[in-house]
Amino acid sequence: MKQIDLNSLFSKKTVDFNDNEVFDIAVIGAGVVGCGIFKEFCENGAKTVLVEKANDILEGASKGNSAILHTGFDAPPNSLELDCIKKGYEEYLKIKKKLDLPFLNTKALVVAWSDEQEEKLEAILNKGLNNGVKELEIISNKELALKEPNLSKNAKAAIVVHGESLIDPWSTPLAYVKLGLQAGGKLAFSHEVKDGHFNGEYWEIKTSQKTIKAKTVINAAGLYGDIVDSIKGSKDFKIIPRKGQFIIFDKTAYNLINSIILPVPTKITKGVVITKTAFGNILVGPTAEDQESRTDSVTKKEMLKTLQDKAYDLLPALKGHNITATFAGLRPASDESHYRVMINDEKNWITVGGIRSTGLTSSLGLAKHVYELNDKKYTKPKKAKEPIEIQNITEFQTRDYETSDYGKIICHCECVTQREIQNALKSEIGAGTVGGLKRRTRVTMGRCQGFNCQASVAQICEESKS
Amino acid sequence: MNKVQIAIIGAGPAGLSTAIELSNMGYDDIVVFDREDEAGGTPRHCGHLGFGIFEFYRLLSGPDYAKKLTKIAADRNITINLKHTLVDISKDILTFSTTDGLVKYSAKRTVLALGARETPRSARLVSGIRSPNIMTTGALQRFIYLHNTIPFKNPVIVGSEVVSFSALMSSRKAGINIAAIIEEDKELNSFSILKSFSETILQTPVKLGYEISSINGDDKEVKSVTISKDGIDETIECDGVIFSGDFTPESALLQENFKDFNFANNSVFISQAFQTTNKNFFAVGNVLRGALTAFKCFFEGKRLAKFIDDSLKQEKLKPQHVKIEADENIQWYYPSLLDLNYPSKILTNLRVNKKTTGRIIVSVNDIDVYEKQIDAKTYTNIKIPREAYPVSKNDTIKIRLES
Ligand SMILES: Cc1cc2nc3c(=O)[nH]c(=O)nc-3n(C[C@H](O)[C@H](O)[C@H](O)COP(=O)(O)OP(=O)(O)OC[C@H]3O[C@@H](n4cnc5c(N)ncnc54)[C@H](O)[C@@H]3O)c2cc1C
Ligand SMILES: Cc1cc2nc3c(=O)[nH]c(=O)nc-3n(C[C@H](O)[C@H](O)[C@H](O)COP(=O)(O)OP(=O)(O)OC[C@H]3O[C@@H](n4cnc5c(N)ncnc54)[C@H](O)[C@@H]3O)c2cc1C
Repeated sequence: MKQIDLNSLFSKKTVDFNDNEVFDIAVIGAGVVGCGIFKEFCENGAKTVLVEKANDILEGASKGNSAILHTGFDAPPNSLELDCIKKGYEEYLKIKKKLDLPFLNTKALVVAWSDEQEEKLEAILNKGLNNGVKELEIISNKELALKEPNLSKNAKAAIVVHGESLIDPWSTPLAYVKLGLQAGGKLAFSHEVKDGHFNGEYWEIKTSQKTIKAKTVINAAGLYGDIVDSIKGSKDFKIIPRKGQFIIFDKTAYNLINSIILPVPTKITKGVVITKTAFGNILVGPTAEDQESRTDSVTKKEMLKTLQDKAYDLLPALKGHNITATFAGLRPASDESHYRVMINDEKNWITVGGIRSTGLTSSLGLAKHVYELNDKKYTKPKKAKEPIEIQNITEFQTRDYETSDYGKIICHCECVTQREIQNALKSEIGAGTVGGLKRRTRVTMGRCQGFNCQASVAQICEESKS
Repeated sequence: MNKVQIAIIGAGPAGLSTAIELSNMGYDDIVVFDREDEAGGTPRHCGHLGFGIFEFYRLLSGPDYAKKLTKIAADRNITINLKHTLVDISKDILTFSTTDGLVKYSAKRTVLALGARETPRSARLVSGIRSPNIMTTGALQRFIYLHNTIPFKNPVIVGSEVVSFSALMSSRKAGINIAAIIEEDKELNSFSILKSFSETILQTPVKLGYEISSINGDDKEVKSVTISKDGIDETIECDGVIFSGDFTPESALLQENFKDFNFANNSVFISQAFQTTNKNFFAVGNVLRGALTAFKCFFEGKRLAKFIDDSLKQEKLKPQHVKIEADENIQWYYPSLLDLNYPSKILTNLRVNKKTTGRIIVSVNDIDVYEKQIDAKTYTNIKIPREAYPVSKNDTIKIRLES
């Protein structure tokens, strides 16, 4: 019988620009940060190329996160991070309206589980207010019980953070790339940047495939940010990956909570977040574990068990609901806690590194900041009239299976249709990896994890390749 | 809104046999629904022999068995609506997703015959990398029997239930070498003869008492698994991992819609008449408890038909359900309701969670009324008789295991 390897069913993406092309900007890294920057420069008329070593976007830190759009209430005061979070949030609201992207304003509750934690609420509230996040209030355990009747009765009090919301962490950056493409940007997937040389006028960036020329390089290489940064000749920071493991509970649990349940941050205990997801699940996590490896995102049974126990403690009604998935993400943390954003004017090199744990929210804000740092004028292209198409896979909006003419349902747990899968495989920015296909459609990500559909998915991929 | 007298969801052995039997009894307003594009249920992708002996007196392969059942239904002019995925049952309205749009049905009686699935790696919280080549037996069988392809050449199997050996046999036939069978328990979770069969005839080592402590590899490719026994690690090279068995009902939709959900069984409460706490809804087959053989599901369907007939003929008859609860040592049990309207010899059928020598004790309102000595493995079917102790409507029946 013929062996089919799902991983190899995706053809390597090709590039459509020639070797002599000198770009204004090369963005290295198609994580959420790189995607946001790509969009910003393209829309402002810079000739931009997005260079990514993987065969799809979001194959690094951005593939697994909690998908919360943060307000910045707990961000470091007077920091670039805070500015970018707030700007990013604002920009998201604008773009979401234009593109009809999913957004669910669940609010967050910072819950105090002990008297000691309760004492800290005041300070957290004040920090939030000083950060310019106005919609905050402290509520008693009685009010909390009305808002969250399933939460353990051990809760003492909570802060309501009205702005905290949920988004789709995968379609969102995909939308940024599509907007960039529409404005004339170019993509170079499966191009790993190995080295580079600045000739005083432009960079010759040596990749695993071809050499790419660009006047300015923006390094958004996430977990490899420090390595890529050394190409410019100096080492200014070090990435220390921080793993975050998660457990995802089945859709049956979705209505057990209404808001994002946040812990009171303390020095000793790393609390656990319990939140709904845009896809209709409950997510528990992430852990925070510093490590050397930039690739090791293995999950550990003991840690997952700890998360599970903690979740049962805080939300007893979770018991009896199936766990559908476990995974780990790596945050591109650095040797200092702040964002590592800097420009080297002599070398035309901008570093956007160490975007540790708020990059999904801040990416559009960061993009604006980086654009200003670059301080060059380009001629803006005409605004495209055609809307870009983003497939909705969240539960906040109509799903394909609720419409018609979709062919058949392939993944039964997540109700993913044949048409959704085919669409996700199509086009310049179609899925380039198994993970990419999952992120665009959610196939095999439900409770059976492929028991029903994995073989059919493999077949569809194979058919679409040939 | 479409109207139908009896709607049956799931065209597997349980659903089809219910439909066929009802048709034999003269019912003709029946529609069977299934989300797949072919009827027959799970046997469709169990290409090995092992079906049909008790139903049709001949040994059939799964696909042949599925075809036979489907043909009988077709000969009886039973409507089977394929590519109909039940997505909602709130307010007793059945909503299906179809390529022609959402379709709604209201039925006098609904039969839920949704089957079961295996517990995947994620829910077992196993450490290690993620890869598409970490899958369940069900997924593998579909590769082999529905698509004629194989995803790997040298995987290990985790688990030792009957289905694990089904995975072993299917793999052999497809040219896949099984590097080892790994079982956490010290004994097989199926007939012990299968160990020597695997080892001597198939040369596949069976590692008993080993826990799978991590799946290793890089960039989505499985390279090996680490297994451990008494704190000592061992590495087995392989290119895939098959998690087999540990079936769980396909019951998410029911969990969302039934206020009273039986978490112990991960399914709805049902009486000996297969009736749920909603008197118009019945459930049958593996959706009740995870995997039993196809013929058990087939005969359950046949029995269910009589109860549906009864309930349609006696619209006024109110069920008199007494709840049966079981402790955490019980793997599953059914029925989980005792309907006092029906005489019954069996209180419930059950399996234990681990190999046990001990006693099963039944209590009514916390007073012990029955006990039974058992020496049971995880796959032993235990019948608990309904003896002459009195039970009335508001009582609680509890079952516990003492070892
Ligand atoms: C567990 C966890 C939970 C989180 N929760 C949230 C949240 O709720 N809200 C929120 O706003 N943020 C959250 N974050 C943070 C957010 O996910 C990160 O800040 C963000 O993903 C960082 O993106 P990046 O683009 O900087 O890095 P990456 O996503 O790592 O992108 C870098 C890209 O560069 C590519 N690359 C690397 N080296 C090279 C090379 N040599 N040549 C070419 N390409 C290269 C990589 O393949 C990768 O695609 C969370 C993060 C984690 C890990
Ligand atoms: C690998 C393997 C090997 C096996 N080998 C044997 C063997 O050798 N001998 C034997 O006797 N038994 C065997 N079995 C067990 C046998 O297949 C099952 O006992 C039997 O299929 C159960 O019947 P069922 O009708 O309850 O469920 P299923 O056969 O699983 O049928 C359920 C049906 O419901 C449909 N469905 C589920 N949800 C929905 C929904 N929301 N909307 C619409 N339709 C839905 C499904 O598509 C499916 O067709 C094996 C099982 C497996 C997995």
